[in-house]
Amino acid sequence: MAEIFQQLINALLLGCTYTLIAIGFNLFFGALNVVHFSHGDVCILGAFMTLILYGLAKLLGLVTFLPGFVFVPLLILTAMILTGLIGTFFERVVIRPFRYAPLLMVLVATVALGMVVRETVRLSFPHGSNPQIFPRILPQTSFQLGGVLIRLDSLIIFGTTIFLISMMFLFIKRTRIGAAIRAVSQDTEAAAMMGINIDRTVAVTFLIGSALGAIAGILIGAYNNIIRFDMGLMGGVKGFSAAVVGGLGNVYGAIIGGLILGFVETFAAAFIPGGTPYTDVFAFLVVIFFLIFKPSGILGEKVYEKV
Amino acid sequence: MLPRTIGRAVILLAVEAFFFILFAAFMKTYETGKVIAFLLFFIGLGVMFKEWEKARLALTGLFKEMKILAGAGFVAMLLTLPFIFQSSPYLIHICVMAGLFAILALGLNFQLGSTNVVNFATAASYGIGAYASALLAVHFHISFWLGLLVGGSLASLFGLLLGIPCMKTKDYYLSLVTIAFGLIIYILLNNFSWTGGPNGIPNIPPPSLFGHSFKEPLSLFGYQLPFQSNYYYLIFLLVGGSLVVAHRLHHSRVGLTWNAIREDEIAARCHGIDVTWYKILAFCIDAFFGGVAGTVYSHYIGFISPENFAFIVSVVVVTMVILGGMDNVFGVIIGAILLTILPEKFRAFEDFRVLIYGLIVVTMLMFRPQGLFPQKMRIYKKES
Repeated sequence: MAEIFQQLINALLLGCTYTLIAIGFNLFFGALNVVHFSHGDVCILGAFMTLILYGLAKLLGLVTFLPGFVFVPLLILTAMILTGLIGTFFERVVIRPFRYAPLLMVLVATVALGMVVRETVRLSFPHGSNPQIFPRILPQTSFQLGGVLIRLDSLIIFGTTIFLISMMFLFIKRTRIGAAIRAVSQDTEAAAMMGINIDRTVAVTFLIGSALGAIAGILIGAYNNIIRFDMGLMGGVKGFSAAVVGGLGNVYGAIIGGLILGFVETFAAAFIPGGTPYTDVFAFLVVIFFLIFKPSGILGEKVYEKV
Repeated sequence: MLPRTIGRAVILLAVEAFFFILFAAFMKTYETGKVIAFLLFFIGLGVMFKEWEKARLALTGLFKEMKILAGAGFVAMLLTLPFIFQSSPYLIHICVMAGLFAILALGLNFQLGSTNVVNFATAASYGIGAYASALLAVHFHISFWLGLLVGGSLASLFGLLLGIPCMKTKDYYLSLVTIAFGLIIYILLNNFSWTGGPNGIPNIPPPSLFGHSFKEPLSLFGYQLPFQSNYYYLIFLLVGGSLVVAHRLHHSRVGLTWNAIREDEIAARCHGIDVTWYKILAFCIDAFFGGVAGTVYSHYIGFISPENFAFIVSVVVVTMVILGGMDNVFGVIIGAILLTILPEKFRAFEDFRVLIYGLIVVTMLMFRPQGLFPQKMRIYKKES
């Protein structure tokens, strides 16, 4: 029983990471009808940004100067904002020129962009091909609860994710910009006619999506204690898979999709004998299964092709 | 009339020989500075060709008039390449690799170029072909020639397998399926024990023909050519074959149907085209080409590991098709040759190779989405 609970916690954590990445995919798809294939790399970029900022702070002596509960949120917030700005920059430079071009163009362009991001990260770190040690920014203590070992950092990760996701929902539901984002995702042309600045709304969408993605990257780093330049490829494909399973374009779907993927992976690794190396295979098989039998995802609307 | 024809033929062959010598000289330069000078010269030639209309019309007219002679001269010159590079097997190796990638790119062109179906699983079919024939050769001593067929067919079968879920999906979803498929194959190759895991398969026997092993130097007309030449001629034949197949397919009903699907799938369906069947056909043919290339690769290098078939290989092949020009058979081959040779010439920047591939794709898509050699308009001769 304890074993199952232990795996449940792992699955939830993994699900959180995928959800955070998938939310980005859904936001972008809603706003622009675009799948940003390099989003996973942007997310990992968030982790590398944290690494760099941490190094800088260490040089400046901020690590010892500020107490941990002030320093760590500050660090993460800065990394989030920077990653968000990078995401917006990518939208401006690589995605916007293809707004009226065939789908294929932006698809291949973003895949190539992901490659550029990965390689830039690899080349700008000494021994970039090797895993980099992620700073231990979260407390490392753990406690026992009914035979289940709970790491304190997992709890913090979980809490942060829930907090951020609910903040994002509030933002989208309650603010003017949030209303604009929803309007653009419903009908871009009608929104433009109502006087909504499309370019600015899209930019905000990318800012939010990339910033949330940065959190996902940091979570991966903090949980595994290492990050590697090419984690973004798998992260992006998994995040996109989660978005598809939940229903592409539906932000709530991201949560369901992320959790499903997290559970499939964790339980495949734990309960299928010899299944550990094949967890990704199981995850992808689930996704392909969904694509065949329910291509619109769990919460997605069925889209009819118009002639 | 006759002297004039002979004169024109001589001019044509001289032009071809000039370019061929340029190419050979370019291959033989190793210093980065000289390579850059050569490249600038080539770019200058290209720009001149584009701007100087009179010369361009004259040249294209000349080549159109004597198509057969031009082709024959070109083939003859390519056949002498191993003699020219006799002392440097490395250069022949580059040519073999360029040929392999040309086959891969030609295969992908059926999908990406003709049908507008994105496929990021080229590396998977390449790998399946390579592993299938390598395993057969190592464990069952099955000859390379049979392996070529088996590798291609097996890859084709996997193409079919991949094609079926893909038919349910479009655009982004489809590329997700192909990426996932490529990653699955990579993970499986890495973890199965019978594929050797991350260590791969060593000691794959070289092919032999009429008792002549491809690992031995080739002696032709009293010249001793390095063993790579065997593969060079093999690849030359295979690329030639693929070229003929691709060209014929492009000009056949099938190619026309693929183009129709690319332009408008719904309209194609309304005209009674079985879209599913033709898309799956594109998948299978692409995979067959990939499998054949993989088989040759595994027997040529003699050692394969999953790293040779990673996601990046698929992206590189996509880059070749886009750079060369989608749906232009010759353009695609030139794209493959360029992207194989240039990185070898810029060994000093080896680390930046992948980065540069990515940058090429993004800039090409932005500024010249039709590629270096845009696809030609289909022209049908008037019946008269």
